[in-house]
Amino acid sequence: MKTKEPEAKTYLGVPLYRPKVAFFEFSSCEGCQLQLVNNESTLLDFLSLVEVVNFREAMTEKSDDYTIAFVEGSITRGDEVERLKKIRKNAKILVAMGSCACFGGVNQLKNRFKNFDWVKKQVYGKHPIDSGLVRAVEDVVPVDLRIYGCPIKKEEVEKIVLHVALGKSIDIPKHPVCMECKANENICLFDLGEPCLGPITRAGCDSWCPNNRAGCWGCRGPAEDANVEYMKKIMKEKGFSEQTIMERLDCFGGFKKVK
Amino acid sequence: MKPKLKFTDVTTQPPDTQRRKNDLSSFEYTHRAEITSVYPLTDMETIYRIQVIDPEERRRFKFVPGQFVMLEMPGIGEAPFSISSSPSIHGEVELCIRKAGNLTNFLSKVGRGSHVGIRGPFGTGFPMEEMRGQNILLIAGGLGLVPLRSPIAYVQENRSHFKEVNIIYGTKSPAHLLFQYQYDVWSKDDINLNIIVEKTDPAWKGSVGLITESLLKILTGRDSEFYHNTYAIVCGPPVMFKFVCNMLNKFHVPMQKMFVSLERRMHCGMGKCCRCNVGSTYTCLKGPVFDYWTVMNLKEAI
Amino acid sequence: MIFRIFEKKELRSLFEILAAHNKIVGPVEIGRDKDKNPVYAFAEVSDFNSIKLNYTTTKLPAKRYFLPFQEDLSTFRIEAGNWQKTIDYNAKEPLIFFGLHACDINALNKLDKVLLHSVYPTPYYAAKRKNMFIIGIDCVPQSFCFCRSMGSDTALHGFDMFITDLGAKYFVEILTDTAYNFLKNIKTEEPKEKDHVLYMKTAAERNKKFTAQVETTDLAKILDMEFQADVWKQWGDKCLACGTCSNVCPTCYCYGVEETVNIDLKGARKTKSLYSCNLIDFAEVAGGHNFRPERHTRLKYRYYHKHRGFVEAFEESLCVGCGRCGQSCLAGINVPEVIASVRGGKIK
Repeated sequence: MKTKEPEAKTYLGVPLYRPKVAFFEFSSCEGCQLQLVNNESTLLDFLSLVEVVNFREAMTEKSDDYTIAFVEGSITRGDEVERLKKIRKNAKILVAMGSCACFGGVNQLKNRFKNFDWVKKQVYGKHPIDSGLVRAVEDVVPVDLRIYGCPIKKEEVEKIVLHVALGKSIDIPKHPVCMECKANENICLFDLGEPCLGPITRAGCDSWCPNNRAGCWGCRGPAEDANVEYMKKIMKEKGFSEQTIMERLDCFGGFKKVK
Repeated sequence: MKPKLKFTDVTTQPPDTQRRKNDLSSFEYTHRAEITSVYPLTDMETIYRIQVIDPEERRRFKFVPGQFVMLEMPGIGEAPFSISSSPSIHGEVELCIRKAGNLTNFLSKVGRGSHVGIRGPFGTGFPMEEMRGQNILLIAGGLGLVPLRSPIAYVQENRSHFKEVNIIYGTKSPAHLLFQYQYDVWSKDDINLNIIVEKTDPAWKGSVGLITESLLKILTGRDSEFYHNTYAIVCGPPVMFKFVCNMLNKFHVPMQKMFVSLERRMHCGMGKCCRCNVGSTYTCLKGPVFDYWTVMNLKEAI
Repeated sequence: MIFRIFEKKELRSLFEILAAHNKIVGPVEIGRDKDKNPVYAFAEVSDFNSIKLNYTTTKLPAKRYFLPFQEDLSTFRIEAGNWQKTIDYNAKEPLIFFGLHACDINALNKLDKVLLHSVYPTPYYAAKRKNMFIIGIDCVPQSFCFCRSMGSDTALHGFDMFITDLGAKYFVEILTDTAYNFLKNIKTEEPKEKDHVLYMKTAAERNKKFTAQVETTDLAKILDMEFQADVWKQWGDKCLACGTCSNVCPTCYCYGVEETVNIDLKGARKTKSLYSCNLIDFAEVAGGHNFRPERHTRLKYRYYHKHRGFVEAFEESLCVGCGRCGQSCLAGINVPEVIASVRGGKIK
């Protein structure tokens, strides 16, 4: 795939900003980038808003000349640190994309273990790789913008790119998932006796998991003004064990800084 | 007869052109309007003159000083702006727009001739008729001069209706003074101009200090006749109008004669979205212009 | 007011006759909670068997049929640097509401006051509201119902007909000629004195079942006096600021508007989404200033709007006492306890 050079686009007479963008992946499943190419109905419009110069999942050419770098994945190896620093240097805007890049994601669960050699042996067996403590992108280089979610929501990325093109501010919901869950008319997971982090997790996913009767695991991290302390108390009162609560809060690493 | 309900189509009800406030079709109706002039005021603020395009709508579009309009740029946003121009010109408004959000950022990129949508005018105004035969204090801090320009224009056009008129205007520094090109005309219309800046610069020859110092000079040594027959219009940040109104109160200017304009977030302008509520009062319906007595009784106002 | 009485089996006939020609919304069971109790919701129904007329309070009110969570106020066609605006009130056909409780009917009456009968009536609401045919039904008060305190345990208007279960028969109150004509399709009779007695006895029995209470005497004044009370802070510490109370409330109508450009740049839309005053950015202005940054100030504001502001404007509260907010709040914040604490009671 190659993005064509389309004629300069305008909106209501105002020329749009068409940034050169690049996508990079670190320790991750690359599922976030896959999301981007998933929605075929809007893919061409999306690609016409930006000039993609680097996107391993979709094209072969590569270039270091970009304004916005979308970075997926957590940072676990020494060579990753070097690569990330170089990207930071090249990019004007660095976007952490997905839970791994934003918080370390599921990968950071291994940080709980003191004995890394044991972990490596359990995971990789006879083929060990160089892999250390898992870090979020912001723990290595400064991050300008975060796109939350595991995986990210394509509609949200489209909106962000459109807003960049139009010069509109990027407004990611500040409130918790409950708002969307109620709008989707789901039965509250707590009524069903299931744990759920919806009341303290940042919205924007359209309550993806609760829509499927699965409690929220907090992949988008805390909502602004999230009342984590009281939520823990509520869950305890509802009969959930300390372990159940901590498993959820720790899963994606988003609540590390607030809990 | 079939037990089938008939669909009631509310769009077929004739529009009530005389009573805009009761007409269903006026809710989302925007006047198509054209930006006829763009006048940069400072690095951050620009004056947009906006004219309703349809001649009949233009004739009917009237407002009173202190009211606001909702300005819409399709797909970009809609926001309230206080009208900053003379109420005697129908179908045209001047809005002073500061780059602060999506709408205002986008507006800064569009030029003369662009079309925007306007809803309104909305809200309460300063009771200029009631002030007839009285002294007027027009007090503005910072950007507060923007909404004040409308009553100032009214006073100029009806100068004989009022006794002594004072503008008291304070800003951070001489560089922040707005509408300097109008000061001469205001003075020539026998409006006393009292300008004060907080921080001076080498070229500044005027007063330095807080707005209340300027006000104190004007109020000191007057007879009770003056205080009882004075109206004040105060526009500026809440801390400023609190100090100003407290001072006026000390001199026994009646609270019902002091008017302030409150600013809140608004999404509708028509008393529905609740975003502008102060305590439980709708700023868009009961305000934005309130007398100070009412403000004192509003929870959360200051 | 015209009253009739009819055999219970006639209701099925009425439903089927109406369902043959109209869309019907009624209470249905959508699942069971962890204690095996049914969870009810309002949904479109075409089969009388799936409607649950003995339902307890639904988790969500019928609000989405007249105040959807999200709707486009207008759409734009963008062409050659200019725009054309299209307005659609998003109402396509009449709806029959089969079995609304008195509290939910009163909620509509309250919404009418602000959305229909005050300045700038809302056409999006009006278009839907004027196409609602409402059949009310009596209910069994639950432990959390305090509608009696709010004066909304019975409905005086805002419906077409209201049926009450008298055991063997239904007693029906008819308010509109449309309802009267609909009822011609089934067998009804003039109630006799013994039916009146039975009706009054049934109503008296129901009244005894109310347990939850809110003391509303002087409430508007007391809320003003206690604006700085510590209890607000204590409730604020519990509040999750999730907006659920507003979403399950049959009378919360606050909203936000967002304009978006379609990704193909050929169109744009202005979308209204119901919002909640408990959310962090409810009173945030362009430029970032937030008039209510703390949870307790936002929670307090919600009570002020419901129990003071609306009272000031319309001489009645904006709360119908359905108890949904308290039932849905994970933190257990509920109207009876909050009001009692403002009046000097202790918080559990």
